[in-house]
Amino acid sequence: MDQLKIDFDKVIEGLKLSDENINFRKKNFNQFVENGFPNKRVEDWKFSDLNQIISSNIENLRFHSNFVPSKIDEAIFIDKFAHNKIIYLNGTISNVDFNHEDDTKVLVTRDLNKNENFKEVNPLVSLNNALTASYIRVTVKENYSFNKPLIIYNITTKDLMSTALNLKTDIVLEKNSSLKVINLFDDNSENNFINIVQNFDIAQDSTLKNYKIDHKINSNIKYCYNNINLEKNSISENFIFSTGSKFIKNEINCNLNDEYSSAFINGILNLTKSQHHEIKTNINHLAENTKSYQLIKSVLNDSAKGIYQGKIYVDSKAQKTNGYQLSKALLLNENTEFDGKPELEIYADDVKCSHGATSGNLDEDAIFYLMSRGLSHQQSKELLINGFLLDAVEKITDEEIKDLIKKMIGITE
Amino acid sequence: MLQIKGLKAKIDNKEILKGLNLEIKPGEVHAIMGPNGSGKSTLSNVLSGKKGYTVSGNVTYLNENLLDLEIEERAHKGIFLAFQYPLEIPGVNTNIFLKTSLNAIKKAKGEKELDAIEFLKLVKQKAAELKFDEKILSRQLNVGFSGGEKKKNEILQMSILNPKLSILDETDSGLDIDALKIVSEGVNALRSKESSFLIITHYQRLLEYIKPDFVHVLINGKIVKSGGSELALELESKGYESLS
Repeated sequence: MDQLKIDFDKVIEGLKLSDENINFRKKNFNQFVENGFPNKRVEDWKFSDLNQIISSNIENLRFHSNFVPSKIDEAIFIDKFAHNKIIYLNGTISNVDFNHEDDTKVLVTRDLNKNENFKEVNPLVSLNNALTASYIRVTVKENYSFNKPLIIYNITTKDLMSTALNLKTDIVLEKNSSLKVINLFDDNSENNFINIVQNFDIAQDSTLKNYKIDHKINSNIKYCYNNINLEKNSISENFIFSTGSKFIKNEINCNLNDEYSSAFINGILNLTKSQHHEIKTNINHLAENTKSYQLIKSVLNDSAKGIYQGKIYVDSKAQKTNGYQLSKALLLNENTEFDGKPELEIYADDVKCSHGATSGNLDEDAIFYLMSRGLSHQQSKELLINGFLLDAVEKITDEEIKDLIKKMIGITE
Repeated sequence: MLQIKGLKAKIDNKEILKGLNLEIKPGEVHAIMGPNGSGKSTLSNVLSGKKGYTVSGNVTYLNENLLDLEIEERAHKGIFLAFQYPLEIPGVNTNIFLKTSLNAIKKAKGEKELDAIEFLKLVKQKAAELKFDEKILSRQLNVGFSGGEKKKNEILQMSILNPKLSILDETDSGLDIDALKIVSEGVNALRSKESSFLIITHYQRLLEYIKPDFVHVLINGKIVKSGGSELALELESKGYESLS
């Protein structure tokens, strides 16, 4: 904790901040210090004891680093389609490029004093509020639709270690606008803690598609908190492809604030070895005629652990809510563990809500059928697993990104 | 091609096949008939290598000990089982499955694998022969197929893979008369001097369309009577009771 205090002072010193912002950060810092990293006694963290995970994977965690390497390996950039870029390099924004867009329609600010609208919802968000040195807000002006997707590259290089990175992104869609975002991790570093907080405000008649890709195998520990506010007749589509990190918890809090807004959260956990990934969602239906849909498919190998905690809250005002969630897991080894915790909290009486969860092994009869057609056991297994995952991938409405993720999984057509 | 001597098979300590003998020569069509529970499906499962049975006896296929071969090796060497209940495989595109299967077998035989264009040409032709709507092939394997479509899909796979020994496990069950005709024509088109068939059925109906060279009656895990195609008619009128 002493180190934390020293690092906090260094961060504050290094940034040019308003007094108001320093006070905001101090308040958040104290909140984190009081609580520390969440452990399994905290209900939301009972399947993922982050305190224990960090202490057993990272030695002497530092909260401050000036380290920025000069060069990025160009090979990591997606070349399948043109796109806009925000590049975080070891936690620092190194490049922002909106070349494909009308620059009068896209506002970008990196003013660190502007990060105060993030609420202190939990100790990790507070830690992020206190320490972040990388903040960007992108505002899409009214009636503007992005021509090309925005890829937020999150790159770490191999010399980075035992460091906590706190990144923050704020995306605002004004009325009748649209944007596709891909959050792409490229981790070349070992044993760091990466804490990402993102806020999305989606105004009336707007659409945000947000795809998260954590694909490259790495030993980092990650926490991603997304807060999504949806106004009238707006849509938020989310897809989480979770397969790279040692540990990652993706938490999404989604507020359906006004009529006819809808949220889709679909995802895949595809884990091997001792990977431990969690998806946690809170969908808050706060107005009439709102809709939410969630489908999570998990494939667990070796001694991997997967968790899905999905909560649907329906306010007494939110009549005619339609809420759906389904989790299916394939456990390919007896040492794997899957924990599912569906929660429905409903205060309105005219609603349609359902949840379901299954877990099991591959169907031996199906393997026999495929092998009797000449496929090897391995080929049969892969075909069945890919078939199992495809169901969730098919929910992606953007064809380019769907193809990209299919290729990453190894689904051929 | 296939010699079965004293074949016994147990599952969960229950003996189902109790010393079965059968020889099939190249080009021959054999039918096995028998009542429910006589061991017909067990025989087709054991020949195609399904796990879970304790098997003894001798089965020689093309001068090899068949029982030593893995499931997929049997397929590579030309054994094909048309399933009584073809499985639904969600998320697996039928065309991709067919291509993977064909190329796995070609690769094992040391033949050149087909590329996408060559494959589609072959599938188109075979599907047309079976009056099988090729649109169905872009759907997930057997998912939402009608009973008849599933069976036709089995015969389509058979005609694409061109096996040496085809085992048809109650392929006629669940087929209406038109589908039965089409399926039978598909089978008849594959008959040749080199390829053999083992047709497992309850009823004589299928054998009106696919004329067997030999008919065997399987009761209680053993073949109790063998004869020519006239035996099927005899069974139809007298039933199995007279033989047990």
